[in-house]
Amino acid sequence: MNFLKKRFHRYYLHSRILLPERFERREYAFMLFDEDTMHRHMAFSSREQLSRYLHSHAPAHVYYSSAYYRTPSAATMREKQWMGADLIFDLDADHLPQAEQLSYTEALVEVKKEMQKLLSFLHDDFGFGKNETRVYFSGGRGYHCHVSHKAVLSLGSQERREIIDYIMGRGLDLSEIVRERSIPREGDARYGQRFTHKTIEIDPSSGGWTRRILEGLVAFYERIRHMEREDAIRELTKIEGIGRKTAEELYGGLTDERIARIKRGKLDQATGFKRIAIPLMKNLAVSLTGEADEPVTTDIKRLIRLPGSLHGKTGLRVTPVDIDGMEGFDPLRDAVVFGDEPVKIIINKPVEITMNEQTFKLEKGDAEVPEYLAVFLVARRNAVIKKSME
Amino acid sequence: MFNSVDLTQLARYPFTTEAKEWVKNEKVNTADILSDAVYERARMRGIARVHQALKRGIVDEVPLLGEADCIMELFSYPIARMIVAAVESEYLIRRYALAEAKKAYTALKNEPPEFISILAGEFGITTDHRGIHFTDYLKYAPTWDTKWKLVNRNLQHGYVVLQHHEIARLIQEAIREKIQRELANLFAPPEVKRIFRDDIVAMRSSVASKDRRPKIEEVNEEYFPPCIKSLAAAARAGTNIPHVGRFTLVTFLHAIGMETDDILKLFSASPDFNMEKTRYQIEHITGKASGTTYAVPRCDTILTWGLCYPDQLCKTVRHPLFYYRRRSRR
Repeated sequence: MNFLKKRFHRYYLHSRILLPERFERREYAFMLFDEDTMHRHMAFSSREQLSRYLHSHAPAHVYYSSAYYRTPSAATMREKQWMGADLIFDLDADHLPQAEQLSYTEALVEVKKEMQKLLSFLHDDFGFGKNETRVYFSGGRGYHCHVSHKAVLSLGSQERREIIDYIMGRGLDLSEIVRERSIPREGDARYGQRFTHKTIEIDPSSGGWTRRILEGLVAFYERIRHMEREDAIRELTKIEGIGRKTAEELYGGLTDERIARIKRGKLDQATGFKRIAIPLMKNLAVSLTGEADEPVTTDIKRLIRLPGSLHGKTGLRVTPVDIDGMEGFDPLRDAVVFGDEPVKIIINKPVEITMNEQTFKLEKGDAEVPEYLAVFLVARRNAVIKKSME
Repeated sequence: MFNSVDLTQLARYPFTTEAKEWVKNEKVNTADILSDAVYERARMRGIARVHQALKRGIVDEVPLLGEADCIMELFSYPIARMIVAAVESEYLIRRYALAEAKKAYTALKNEPPEFISILAGEFGITTDHRGIHFTDYLKYAPTWDTKWKLVNRNLQHGYVVLQHHEIARLIQEAIREKIQRELANLFAPPEVKRIFRDDIVAMRSSVASKDRRPKIEEVNEEYFPPCIKSLAAAARAGTNIPHVGRFTLVTFLHAIGMETDDILKLFSASPDFNMEKTRYQIEHITGKASGTTYAVPRCDTILTWGLCYPDQLCKTVRHPLFYYRRRSRR
């Protein structure tokens, strides 16, 4: 038995698996060590049955279906008979724009920020209670959020798509959010329509994206106003389509009174409003997926990692995260399950990592490290076990 | 749900449970409704309902001045339904359901909010001062239309804040679904076909062209541009396609002459395939249900939607239809 499998086996002996609601209606799937195929269409009728399976197979990856079925063990969707599905959001470092340049730890910090944004959408806009949204560290490079409110269970993928679009700001139409009004210029009334200026207004009492954009604008303008002139202009001209002249005008016009008007939704002529609003929107939206792959959420028959199970490529536990304590959650401490008995390994690439609040700086070659780090490095293929001669 | 003496409201919304109860409680048997001279007016109005639906896509409102008007109006609805069922045309069922729903909408948008709330309740839609819950909203809102997309809506604490006429619009959709669902399972008594024979024959001949599927003239997928190819493949595989993707695919297939049913077949692999809903969406986009035919989006639009995977030929065209035409001309 290889090193990882042995360790996983030991873990599953006393595993603390967190069973999903309606757990006997779910499909389970497993990937075993040294195998490339996924064992699918499994169903379990009791906790003991599942525990026995985990213990005897010590799988590298454990999944369950977000959907629940009449016959979860049937091989085809038709025979399974779909009954409903949780709403699941998958936030993964790979979906972040600068993912490649970040270290494992940095990437996870960034994903956590996205998760905070997502939760604000789910709580404030969609009105889910804190106890209806559960956050899990995925064991890999991300976090999952499970929504179990009964009203979402029967949503079809088209409806789920709308929720995703909302959270990602996809299809957001600024002209639905702002009201443009043409006002005849004073004294020019006799020329009729030709001499008018357009004013832009946002309804400050509105919720949804309207509120988010208005608040975002106010925060942005306030930040700009408190900057030194040159810094402010530099910041503004970074925005596509805003030149020096527009930037100077904008900066010069940001008085207390002006900001107070903006807070009331009066953007006036709002030079460059749309130019500012577009990058702002991108910032406010949640980056849920890369462009190519389909979001988990709209897939009503998707498999997700079972909370409490181990991730075969890190050895970390899929761990529930307390929403109020998210700030302090450190996956490389709170999702670690193995002990610190020393293990001899050979490192193939220099590593610098803080795990269990200890910082390790390891060069290529032989090293002796605590078991938890050995599991992590071997699972990530950053090291191999040193075979002892005895 | 209605004020029990207010027959006018029952007559205006004859598809409601309460209106049906009223008709039932009158204990008039079908034979009398179909032949007794007393109900002649109701029969005329019943025929008119269906004709108006067919010709103009909406059932006209009639003045409801006295009790007699209301009673005739109430009886005309089950008669109209029997006629629709007797014609045995899916097209007519859809068209009629929409026409009745539109009629209801016209009246509904002028009703007081309390009444709208009560009617919404009949369809399981809960409305209160906060608006309607987003899950109900998503069930009935025509979200392929930018204006109705959830992202462009005032969503607060789970509720979509809507204007009066917008709630009425959602209820219209709920009514349409209900009427259509009921008609799909309704069989007309044989005497209906006899009594209304002339009308039924006329209606059949006018829907014949709509119901018959003209042969698709050789749609060759080989000639599809890459964006459409990948959308069609995704639809066939039952993978989820973004809204804009479905929209693009449907407008394209429609533009090259594919019929609704053939487009439907393409989508039928989707895990949450709902034939009626998909059909309605397709017919909305292709203009059969709405009167507006949407154009196939241009290449640069498709590009901004992230659906563009250009090949060599793509570089020389600006519209997916040009691509198709060019390839098929060769």
